[in-house]
Amino acid sequence: MSVLELKNIKKSFGNKVVLQDITLKVDEGEVVSIIGPSGSGKSTLLRCATFLEHIDNGSITYAGSEVVKKGTEGAVYPSKKEVQKACANFGLVFQNFNLFPHFSVLKNIADAPIVIQKRNKEEVYNEVRELLKKVGISDKENAYPCELSGGQQQRVAIARALALHPAMLYFDEPTSALDPEITAEILRVMKGLAAEKMTMVIVTHEIDFAKAVSDRVIFMDGGMVIEEGSPTDVIDNPKNERTKTFLTKLSV
Amino acid sequence: MIKVKKCFVAGIFCLIAITAGLFFNSVAYAKQEFIVGFDAEFPPYGYMDENGEYTGFDLDLADEVCKRRGWTLVKRPILWDSKDSELETGAISCIWNGFTMNGRESQYTWSTPYVDNSQVVIVKKDSGIEKLSDLAGKVLAVQTDSSALAALEGDDATDENKALAASLKNLQQVENYNSAFMNLESGMVDAIAMDIGVASYQLSTKDDTFIMLDERLSSEEYGIGFKLGNTELRDEVQTTLLEMLEDGTFESIAKKWGLEDSVCLSEEDTLNEASGAKVTKLSVAEIIKQLSSGIAATISVFVLTLLFSMPLGLLIATIRMSKFKLLEWIAKIYISIMRGTPLMLQLLVVFFAPYYVFKISTPYSYRFYATIIGFSLNYAAYFAEIYRSGIQSIPRGQREAAQIMGYNRSQTFFRIIFPQMVKRVLPPVTNEVITLVKDTSLAFVLSYTEMFTMAKQIAASQTSLFPLFVAGVFYYVFNFIVAFFMERIEKRLDYYR
Repeated sequence: MSVLELKNIKKSFGNKVVLQDITLKVDEGEVVSIIGPSGSGKSTLLRCATFLEHIDNGSITYAGSEVVKKGTEGAVYPSKKEVQKACANFGLVFQNFNLFPHFSVLKNIADAPIVIQKRNKEEVYNEVRELLKKVGISDKENAYPCELSGGQQQRVAIARALALHPAMLYFDEPTSALDPEITAEILRVMKGLAAEKMTMVIVTHEIDFAKAVSDRVIFMDGGMVIEEGSPTDVIDNPKNERTKTFLTKLSV
Repeated sequence: MIKVKKCFVAGIFCLIAITAGLFFNSVAYAKQEFIVGFDAEFPPYGYMDENGEYTGFDLDLADEVCKRRGWTLVKRPILWDSKDSELETGAISCIWNGFTMNGRESQYTWSTPYVDNSQVVIVKKDSGIEKLSDLAGKVLAVQTDSSALAALEGDDATDENKALAASLKNLQQVENYNSAFMNLESGMVDAIAMDIGVASYQLSTKDDTFIMLDERLSSEEYGIGFKLGNTELRDEVQTTLLEMLEDGTFESIAKKWGLEDSVCLSEEDTLNEASGAKVTKLSVAEIIKQLSSGIAATISVFVLTLLFSMPLGLLIATIRMSKFKLLEWIAKIYISIMRGTPLMLQLLVVFFAPYYVFKISTPYSYRFYATIIGFSLNYAAYFAEIYRSGIQSIPRGQREAAQIMGYNRSQTFFRIIFPQMVKRVLPPVTNEVITLVKDTSLAFVLSYTEMFTMAKQIAASQTSLFPLFVAGVFYYVFNFIVAFFMERIEKRLDYYR
């Protein structure tokens, strides 16, 4: 069964069409990277899939249950509560982390499991410590986000998303705000997740990374999927002219 | 979250307790009251003495009348501009306060006149002004809305007085006699026109610097003003006054105040300029002691206003940011009116609206509620805008992260947005809180006697501005403490950026 199914997603901001007609299926354990020039709509696609933006039409299905339905007058959204429930299927790691500045590292990660999922406090704290070890910052649980470097903040953000036990993770350009040497640290953490068969959809500019971790690469431009396939097909032997142009531009 | 809720609940209980206490307090003694409305800055007729007690010729008379009638005398200092509304709403039984009848004959139900008061002119001894005609080309000061002003410029002013007014360089209106005398002493005005009783009192407190011109602007009479048509109460008071005249009590009270020659029921006709009302100069310690009773009133206005306006501001900010255009506009209009009109006016509206709009007469204690309601409504509008700016300055990503993690709207607000907002709005909130400390003095328009009102009353009886400076020091100290605590809170929230 596929974890995520997007069908015929259409989205415009005013007169500008951002997503033309996107269909995307992600299976359990699959790592999908979305690449493409800026303004191609890849971030918007991610924001639509995570309900941060309303789509104009199309359907969004998580774990077999259709959340947003296609309609003749546009997409049909369920109640806020239903949308909120559907959010439990995924986690999202932002480009600029969006940690809660007034919470300590521990609280940033543990608050939602305790308050929203109503899990046992001790159990959650133990798990958070495990997660911090996993992302490599176990000594920072009492620090506040402002005391951490960008790379450390992003690791906390990843741990925060994992603590809620989502079926899949979205990454929205997770390393764009980081220095190159720190980027590698984050990519290593993500590679580790891929090795554990975590289902992931990653919007990224790191072509080498995409090639290394992805089961599938999607090249988007002008709000459309231009080319889709294994990393070797799309990145090493692109067929489409636009893909070729994009990749040559990057390699210079 | 639980802590916040507990504080909230505790706060609400406190408010209910305070409100209930005040209410029962006001109900407890509601019978047989004779409420005299007077301007507490009008010695020797009604003012605050050196012990902080309201006293004066008129109040002594009222006291004697009440004793004989078996009534409870309530001395109620009022704002002179509101006297008609106070009488109309029944907040006071009568105006008994060197109250000039001339020109007001048809507006009140009057007692017979008991004081004949003339309007006189005071000048500096060495000014060279000896007759009224010498005032041509000079600056003459009068109190706003006073008999002297009416005598010079009113509809019933004599032709001579109108001509005199026209010959002046300027007719300067001043708020009170203290500032009039300071103006005169410093040469900013050349003369003051005022009631003879007040003039004699003022002259007795100054050295020989000033003199009174022999010529008078006018002669006028004082009476007790009752609500138009309230002849029953008038007749009761009148009868008792005549009894007092018969057995000599009236005259002895008049003598006590040095007004025996002004009372119009006495046989002599000349005016004794050396008044018997003596001013006892207060020491700084005594002024502070008297003011301190007003501080409790100032603090209660301050605390209660914050307690109500801060949560109310949050509610208004929420409505202001509502997705529903209608709600948003209601909040916008509310904020625009509250910020765009004087607080003083808003207080008056809150106080008098129940009677004039809804025909509900309010108890005296409503004065206090009206003060709190007026202040809270006004400050809530400012707080609402401060909160809104704070809420809107928090990056959208915070809300988005919370949404994806499953926080619902109220959880997002109270756990994520609100704590960050508090930190951001603290400096502008501190500004508002400090302004509020000083704004509490506006409670005087509802004749709610807080510290500044008291300072003005002491200043009037002491014929000096010094008590006002003492009040200023109090405000400074109060604000210093407020600023200190706000800084502590700011420091405490300094652990994150």
